[in-house]
Amino acid sequence: MAWTWFHRLGSPPYIYGLAARLTPWFAWLSAALLIGGLYGGLVLAPPDYQQGDDFRIMYVHVPTAWMSLMVYTTMAVAAAVGLIWRIKISHAVAASCAPIGASFTFVALVTGSLWGYRMWGTYWEWDPRLTSELILLFLYLGYMGLRSAMDDMQRADRASAVLAVVGVVNVPIIHYSVLWWNSLHQGPSVMQLAKPTMPPSMLIPLLVMLLGFTTLFAALLLVRLRAEILNRERTASWIREAVTQ
Amino acid sequence: MSEFLNMGGYAAYVWPSYGLTLGVIILNIVWARRLLAKSREDARRRLAMRGEET
Repeated sequence: MAWTWFHRLGSPPYIYGLAARLTPWFAWLSAALLIGGLYGGLVLAPPDYQQGDDFRIMYVHVPTAWMSLMVYTTMAVAAAVGLIWRIKISHAVAASCAPIGASFTFVALVTGSLWGYRMWGTYWEWDPRLTSELILLFLYLGYMGLRSAMDDMQRADRASAVLAVVGVVNVPIIHYSVLWWNSLHQGPSVMQLAKPTMPPSMLIPLLVMLLGFTTLFAALLLVRLRAEILNRERTASWIREAVTQ
Repeated sequence: MSEFLNMGGYAAYVWPSYGLTLGVIILNIVWARRLLAKSREDARRRLAMRGEET
């Protein structure tokens, strides 16, 4: 009895219906949070005493960088679950993550470059943080390339899952790079155990943006997951009902 | 208003960052919706073909 919920999580028709019902909630929540966070970050937060208004790039740079790591971790965990327990839906989740993660990793790199130009005097430096984040982009692109190179869905799932799981070692490297090596990039100012090093007027809009991007990821993932399920469940009879409604 | 747009002299770095982020968010929404629409269409076509055979 206690396990029925767990089995339902592996059932494509159940997940398809659940994803369809949850998507609007995440989408509207995300829109409200992003609009609120933008207003807080661009209007309410005061200019930084050292960086002036340039620090406002933080409100798009930090959440997109967070997305790049969080989406990859989600992808790697889903891929590992798919490899170990051979749950098809896990592979569908992993495959849905990659394009979302790749696009936001690209945004994190470009916004970081724009921010760095005035603060460090250069658009790019082969610095540990910057280099490991660039490798993350290549991991995403490699994952997507590997999938699209294979016609057989099951083989593509397994091969790409191995790549995703192996590549996850890069996630802690990115996170701790600013502590382990002498990096141009500043240290953590939000994710640390001691008190955050920002006043609430700057920190709250950032936290709202982080939540806004996370819920956006949830909404995007659920829409992509439904597409993946439809592509995989080629013969299932429930699909007739799902696509004709 | 022009002071706001000027971003304390950092407009050339702040606004492209926000513009790119907004653009990629919109692209992601469009991509995801298109992918689902295409998958639904493909599934419908497969079902229709099988319907003709039987």
